[in-house]
Amino acid sequence: MNILLICNAGMSTSILVKKMEAEATNRSLDCKIWALSTTEAKQQSDAIDVILLGPQIKFAMNEMKEAFPNIPIDVIDRRVYGMVDGKGALDQALALL
Amino acid sequence: MAVLSGSIKNVVISLFLINKSIDNINNRRKRMEQMEIICFQIIAAVGVARSSFIEAIQLAKKGQYEAAEKAMLDGEKTFIEGHHAHAKLVQEEAAGNKTELSLLLVHAEDQLMSAETFKILANEFIELYKKI
Repeated sequence: MNILLICNAGMSTSILVKKMEAEATNRSLDCKIWALSTTEAKQQSDAIDVILLGPQIKFAMNEMKEAFPNIPIDVIDRRVYGMVDGKGALDQALALL
Repeated sequence: MAVLSGSIKNVVISLFLINKSIDNINNRRKRMEQMEIICFQIIAAVGVARSSFIEAIQLAKKGQYEAAEKAMLDGEKTFIEGHHAHAKLVQEEAAGNKTELSLLLVHAEDQLMSAETFKILANEFIELYKKI
């Protein structure tokens, strides 16, 4: 499964990616998880199954829905993001599928 | 016998020192994890606030001024949460507990500042749209 995380610069989110990867390994899930900025994401040609937006770019939701009309998108819960909760974020991604 | 008790004493002292340095490493790791969470709480709160301020501008652009004002209020409320988390760090440093600097903390402060700027500008934008 390919999970793309999008935020402003992909910086803080890349730390969340590490935690999500660790959780996926714990559950023996075969996941590719990576973080990009909004601009980079639009140029992304790799296969994506689900997209999670950082809560700080909630305002870009419509723009991203237009850019990726066939991919399920959600904004990461603020509490999940604030606690760097890889488990919660992975659960949210899986729930979208 | 004296030699033997001497070397036992050395072993005990070494074990004590090893234990202490493991404790130090564990404490340091715990502190770093706590810092990471504080940084993320700042980033999440002020990030959501900034997002609300931008949404407020977009709403004002559509002429939905009431919704825009509400988005501004939501943003301000969330911003304060991030501001409190940051203020706590500053107060702790003032009390003598030095905060360890990390790129993540710099990033969190950067986001905080950016959100503050957006708040001021969003208010101005909304006023402008009302006049147009």
